[in-house]
Amino acid sequence: MTTEAKHMSTHGASEIVAHVEDLTVDFPTPQGTVHALRGVSLEIRSGEIIAIVGESGSGKTVFGLSLLGLLPLTSRPTVRGRVLVAGVDMLSAGPAAQRAARRISLGAVFQDPLTSLNPTMRIGQQVKERGITADRALANLHEAGVPEPSRRFGQFPHELSGGLRQRAMIAMAVGAAGTRGANRREAAAGAVTGANGGPRLIVADEPTTALDVSVQAQVVLLFDRIRREHGCSVVFVTHDLGVAASIADRIAVFYAGRIREIGQAADLLLHPHHPYTRDLLASRLSIEDIYADSIAGDPPDARAEPTGCAYAPRCRNAQSDCVLNHPPLHPRQPGRQSGAVACFHTVIEEEQKLRSLPPPSTTTVALPQNGEPVLELQHVSKTFATREGRFGLRKQELHAVDDVTFAVPAAGSVALVGESGCGKTTTLRIATGLLRPDHGDVRWAADAGRPQLVFQDAGSSLTPWMKIGPQIVERLRSRGVSRTDRPEKVAEALSLVGLDPRVADARPRDLSGGQRQRAAIARALASDPRVLICDEPVSALDASLVIRVLELLESLQERLGVALLVVTHDLAVARRIADEVVVMYRGRIVEHGHTDQVFGNPAHPYTQGLLAAIPTTEPGRLAPVLEGEPPALTGKLQGCPFASRCRYVRDRCLVEAPPLYAESLDRASACHFYKEVIAQGKSDALSIEAAAQTPGTEAGRH
Amino acid sequence: MLRLIAWRVAGLLIVLLLLTLAVFAIQAKLPADPVAVTLGAGATPQLVAQKRHELGYDKPIWIQYGRFLRKLVRGDLGTSLRTHSSVTGDIAHFAPPTIELALASAVWVFVLALGLGIWSALRRHGASTARVVMLASASAPPFFLAILLILLFYSHLHWLPSSGQSSSLEPVGHVTGFLIIDAIIASNGHVLWDAVLHLILPSIVVAVGPAVSIARVMRGSLIDVMQLDHIRTARAKGLTELRVLFKHALRNSLTPVLAMSGLQVGLLLTGVIIVETVFAWPGLGLYTARALQFDDFPAVIGVTLVFGCVYVIVNAVVDILQMVADPRLRAVR
Repeated sequence: MTTEAKHMSTHGASEIVAHVEDLTVDFPTPQGTVHALRGVSLEIRSGEIIAIVGESGSGKTVFGLSLLGLLPLTSRPTVRGRVLVAGVDMLSAGPAAQRAARRISLGAVFQDPLTSLNPTMRIGQQVKERGITADRALANLHEAGVPEPSRRFGQFPHELSGGLRQRAMIAMAVGAAGTRGANRREAAAGAVTGANGGPRLIVADEPTTALDVSVQAQVVLLFDRIRREHGCSVVFVTHDLGVAASIADRIAVFYAGRIREIGQAADLLLHPHHPYTRDLLASRLSIEDIYADSIAGDPPDARAEPTGCAYAPRCRNAQSDCVLNHPPLHPRQPGRQSGAVACFHTVIEEEQKLRSLPPPSTTTVALPQNGEPVLELQHVSKTFATREGRFGLRKQELHAVDDVTFAVPAAGSVALVGESGCGKTTTLRIATGLLRPDHGDVRWAADAGRPQLVFQDAGSSLTPWMKIGPQIVERLRSRGVSRTDRPEKVAEALSLVGLDPRVADARPRDLSGGQRQRAAIARALASDPRVLICDEPVSALDASLVIRVLELLESLQERLGVALLVVTHDLAVARRIADEVVVMYRGRIVEHGHTDQVFGNPAHPYTQGLLAAIPTTEPGRLAPVLEGEPPALTGKLQGCPFASRCRYVRDRCLVEAPPLYAESLDRASACHFYKEVIAQGKSDALSIEAAAQTPGTEAGRH
Repeated sequence: MLRLIAWRVAGLLIVLLLLTLAVFAIQAKLPADPVAVTLGAGATPQLVAQKRHELGYDKPIWIQYGRFLRKLVRGDLGTSLRTHSSVTGDIAHFAPPTIELALASAVWVFVLALGLGIWSALRRHGASTARVVMLASASAPPFFLAILLILLFYSHLHWLPSSGQSSSLEPVGHVTGFLIIDAIIASNGHVLWDAVLHLILPSIVVAVGPAVSIARVMRGSLIDVMQLDHIRTARAKGLTELRVLFKHALRNSLTPVLAMSGLQVGLLLTGVIIVETVFAWPGLGLYTARALQFDDFPAVIGVTLVFGCVYVIVNAVVDILQMVADPRLRAVR
């Protein structure tokens, strides 16, 4: 074993489930060879949850696929090294042995459960397909927390919600055949099962990224429960250190195809040694820490073959030797269990302090509004008619938006937050004028043009075959800008977003993801709007880019006086960018107020639940969760829409739908017992603080 | 889903009605006067006028259409000017060989399309000579291909007969009209084998064009589906490639293939006319060819209606099959 591998290995009595040695994966592309993994060595212990953390291009997904032996053959990868999973070498073994290993010892959960499940096959069939009995499949579904498993057994994936689909995938992953299903040939090939016949290793690739916050927390806990009940190991690939912190025993940080740091979760999060780990933690936007720093520089080029450390160009600790040689992995501290780090100049040990918030800038608008609002929605409602049932006979009404009222002040910023199905996207479409509401009014300020929309994946909202310049000019034409003025305006728009004016001659495919996002914003700005409406502006971006785009939006607000309406499910983004926040649930507004107040001291149980479900980088704190899922929107409800998930629920809630009570001049909550909610929130916060300060509770569960 | 099927069937009936209207309109607008043709060249104008009145050709057009529809419902398609028997009877007589030919072609189409489609999807880079051959044979006019094959397999190799449905002179009772089935019923092995041999060439010629088109659609669809995430999940479960292909990939790639198949039936029907003529196959195609030569209006109208109905019904069935294959199409909005 190489010296590196020695440090990766874990001595001691615990068994090794998977052993990766010097794994290198290259993909040939027309633009050059992409080095996805550059010599990764790792051992996975039995029963542990190890998180593989990295941004896009770090190689984490390729690593997960290598463990499964599922590298895409059409990309013709070159693979070197060894990957031993439960006794089978996934790289060199024959297809039959690999298949046996996948059938018996491995389980896989992928990111998008909608596309990862066969849309034309019933759920139960797919879970059973592993080679298990229908009873066992039902049991797995039940174990994964699928309510009414026998009914869901016969349904198709599109009939389930996102969270349920992911649970079905987990049930499928857990349903490894077991010794009963393994025939002699497979057993001879070395495939081994876990306790209770489940898999020995589950590889989960971003399993929670596509889910709502409240569901994400439940699924994360589900992985932990499955690990405890089956004794299997879990490789949890994620880009979010917070999610990793809630569940992992060990964390491995990947950058540019190599492991930069690996260690026990609590240790790594509180005392990061590698500058990238430190920077990643610092750039993480969270409710508590909204003034995160973006990481300087650009994501690494996967085709490059630097002689030294790939992180050096962006590293604050970088010195001359970093560029000359690649730092090997060495122990973080003396002592064998401390993990390893690959850096010549590690971060000197320091406590990871929560930065105190700087005083709010003077341009923050405090309510009440100054001047006429640029966008106003009054009692807006919208209902869609759908047909359900096998014969398509049962008509249902979908109350997408129900009596929504709010206003966006001039140069202000409002965030609409909620989970899937809450109605925020429909509200957004109504606000832009794309949809007409059934009831209510939408008003734009007198001189304002139409609000401009910035989409979630702004890059792909650009016309791929047109150059950027003409796309911006399209907007200028409708504002009556003369031909001679146009190039100047285009250059102006581009420089506003921090792009070189020469980008006007480029096509979208020539630009990076972050550049495309900016170009789309430039196009939206070209028509000089008073309001920019952003639909999940940063959810598709890497952590390091998120801050930059948010900073850009803020600077635009300051310089141009443009107002922002941001629709997002990410509360940290809302807190960072908005003065005012509107929380929606099942088509209605449940809370409304100044961001700091609402998040610091929520007045509605749903807001409280959402905040509690957000993963933080405090190690080992598995978030207390909201039970259940965001509700279906069909049918009229009696009483409060949140009653079924609320911990404060009383009889009154089931009968009487709460109106928006004004808690103060600029704050409202749709809960009969909002005062109690605020008080309880305060006392919860105090007890968490007290617990954090008591010695012996640090470092989580170990 | 039943609701959707009901809607589809209702739509089908409306289209059939429109079909009869179209056929009637064409017939009413034909330049040649059917009455004059019936009576022959020597008919005097008075005789023609009298006959017209007798046959009701001078009544208003919508009354004529009404009569046309009523006759249709009774199954009366008129009398053939050539054979002097009822068109319906003629069609019933000549349909079975065409159906036999169509079914045999369908088998070829299924085998060829599936095989070619899957094979060319799995071997993405390459197989270009095979593709050229496929393209050439599909683009060639059916009669050309027919003659080529006859030259090869009959004149040169003496493997297969050149024309007709059967070379055997042994009588086999006309039970169903399907020679192959009749031969089986009569337990006559010679006739059966002979009939099969005769069936091979014509059915291949009819099948090649549609098979290649469908294979190309299947190839495209299958390649797309194999890239999807759920194929990766299926592999992750440790299923064999074969099972992944058949259970997961194929079923999901069927939708465009089914659509194409429905459209190809139309081509198949038109191809039948020419192929039957070349091979002297005693079916509807030959009947139609002769009727066209003879200006036998009732027969042509009758065959047009029948072919039209078959085409429309087949496409409706395809739509319903698509719903069966892909449950997502069953969700109504």
